[in-house]
Amino acid sequence: MSGTIEQPRFTCALGSCQSVVAIKKGVPILHSGPGCGGQITRLIGQGEGYAGGSTAPCTNAEEADVVFGGEKKLRSVIENSFKVIDGDIYVVLTGCTAAITGDDIAAVTGEFQAEDKPIVYVEEGGFKSNNYASHERLVNAIVDQYVDKFKKSDEKVEGLVNVFASIPYQDPYWSGNLEGIKKVLTDIGLKVNILFGNESGGVEEWKTIPNAQFNIVIGPWVGVKIAKHLKVKYGQPYLQFPYLPIGAIETSRFLRQVAEFAHLDEIKVENYIKAEEAKYYSHIEKMADFMLEFRYGIPRRVYTIADSSYALGFSKFLLNELGIIPGPQYIVDDIPEKFQDSVRAEFDNISILQKRQVEVVFDPDAGKNQARLEEDAKNYEDKRLLILGSSWDKNLADKLHADLLIISVPVQHRLIMNCGYTGYAGGLRAIEDIYDRVLATYR
Amino acid sequence: MRQIAIYGKGGIGKSTTTQNLTAGLAELGKNVMVVGCDPKADSTRLLLNGLAQKTVLDTLREEGEVDDLDLIMKRGFGGIRCVESGGPEPGVGCAGRGIITSIGMLEDLGAYTDDLDYVFYDVLGDVVCGGFAMPIREGKAKEIYIVASGEMMALYAANNICKGIQKYANQGGVRLGGIICNSRNVDREHDLLNAFAKELGSQLIYFVPRDNEVQRAEINRKTVIDHNPEHPQAREYRHLAEAIENNTQFVIPKPMTQERLEEILIEFGLMENIKDSYAI
Repeated sequence: MSGTIEQPRFTCALGSCQSVVAIKKGVPILHSGPGCGGQITRLIGQGEGYAGGSTAPCTNAEEADVVFGGEKKLRSVIENSFKVIDGDIYVVLTGCTAAITGDDIAAVTGEFQAEDKPIVYVEEGGFKSNNYASHERLVNAIVDQYVDKFKKSDEKVEGLVNVFASIPYQDPYWSGNLEGIKKVLTDIGLKVNILFGNESGGVEEWKTIPNAQFNIVIGPWVGVKIAKHLKVKYGQPYLQFPYLPIGAIETSRFLRQVAEFAHLDEIKVENYIKAEEAKYYSHIEKMADFMLEFRYGIPRRVYTIADSSYALGFSKFLLNELGIIPGPQYIVDDIPEKFQDSVRAEFDNISILQKRQVEVVFDPDAGKNQARLEEDAKNYEDKRLLILGSSWDKNLADKLHADLLIISVPVQHRLIMNCGYTGYAGGLRAIEDIYDRVLATYR
Repeated sequence: MRQIAIYGKGGIGKSTTTQNLTAGLAELGKNVMVVGCDPKADSTRLLLNGLAQKTVLDTLREEGEVDDLDLIMKRGFGGIRCVESGGPEPGVGCAGRGIITSIGMLEDLGAYTDDLDYVFYDVLGDVVCGGFAMPIREGKAKEIYIVASGEMMALYAANNICKGIQKYANQGGVRLGGIICNSRNVDREHDLLNAFAKELGSQLIYFVPRDNEVQRAEINRKTVIDHNPEHPQAREYRHLAEAIENNTQFVIPKPMTQERLEEILIEFGLMENIKDSYAI
């Protein structure tokens, strides 16, 4: 079924090249038309990273490559990439052009794999899916073609865990978020393969994927395919936590679930949680007077235009920790139907105190969602509004005199380095940023 | 499981030959799957007694996705499993990409079960782009048989196809199993095809004589073995099936130059007696 949507907040399947960029010294090799890498980075990326964007090796397929096939060019680009770019893993990804002409990527990459070069291929074709789906395929391909080949052993190491959470770059705060998740898990005694970003050990860490005792999937759907694949391949069980844990209540809930699943020392984990919660709430206690007196200044209604993981994570945080009631949730990650019910169920259980109705709309057409938001906002003209969205929602926020906190792509109005919203520290950061938006309008 | 791809000039008789020979294999008790790789979707008509089958790509277009193998796989004569890739109408779209998509889908749906003895890919005549080579990529068909006749253009096409096969054979495991002659009653056709096959480094694995019983069966939407099992032509197809079953000669073909091809044609007399030869 096809139609048109306005403002997709995700990319085509080739977007998984950004996941490669997120691996330390990962080099995506694009077998596609010219410009794909640059376009993708402009939507889901800030800065080109190690070898991404327009610096990624690309076959820049032109007419001759379509008519006569592009395999020769691809072979040459791969050979020269090895010479020119110092990478630890190279991943060949196909764009639309190569997918239509039917170039045999497997055979070309296979020539280099036969020489034990660290290279993997993923046959995509931009039109095949979006980058949520292709991210999972990418990870599975790296597992099948690289990890499986270069792993040191199949032995399970107790306390070692693989984590599949934010999609790098699709989640603009991926770096900070992954750091935050790794921190809390490490603090309760686990050894964490976070796999992407600064806190990961690069490809050497990927090679230890088979040794993990179990896997953790954070999010309502992305990552499940990976965990299932690893279950079949290495017999690893997995725990799924359905959204990003933001703030104390959810992080504590997350850690308790992990502790139970992994049979960790309950007392040790509870002590850690108590200590962290004490720290966390001490900050809020100090600000209690301000926050209470400011209650007329805080947003009355919060709209979310984001993916399901953030929508759930932020809604729970805002409601249960700050008392801000979530308004309509516009979920734009094109989540497959079979996962939508579980997301709705989580929204039904959103409050820790009472039953609440939260309006949830699944529609990847962000333009339509903006129209819905504007329509709904007419009922609250005298109230302060907060929009959790992206830079593309800035005009709407300005029009409605609403505050905008940017939590999804594209991000043009904020520089993000290691800011993250997961965990205890992440929750405090979120509070700061929300009030920062609100106070910025003060004279 | 032996995976076999059938190539050859358009109209030479690939689909007819494939269906008749698989009927013979089914009679020998083999579990066979025939995958039509042609947008015309006419590779299983004789096995299913009609062009009723929903193609993989039609189903994809209508349903959005295919998650049930039964939607696209039907059982025909002798329990042969039939799948049609389908594709765009003439003059539009990209059929090659269609083949890539549909074969990928068969893999995802688990159509290749362990109990299968044979999978036959009946591929459209002119292998004009990468997509039509999908069946001979690594991990799929390991054997190729090219259907040809003694006609110049059929041999020219067969030779041309060998260039493509050579590429895939050099980088993977696919090999040429032989040439099947679908006779057009050309002068000295048997000798000619023999020489042609040898020049390629391969063999004329079977010579199927021309017989109108094949046409009669086709009009009745059946294979010869189904339509008239006692007819001599049915025996020919049974022998072809046995020849495939027992074949051990698999080679990387050595395509010849146009000059050499014409030399062979002249040597076997086709071009000399232009007056007497009614085939031209």
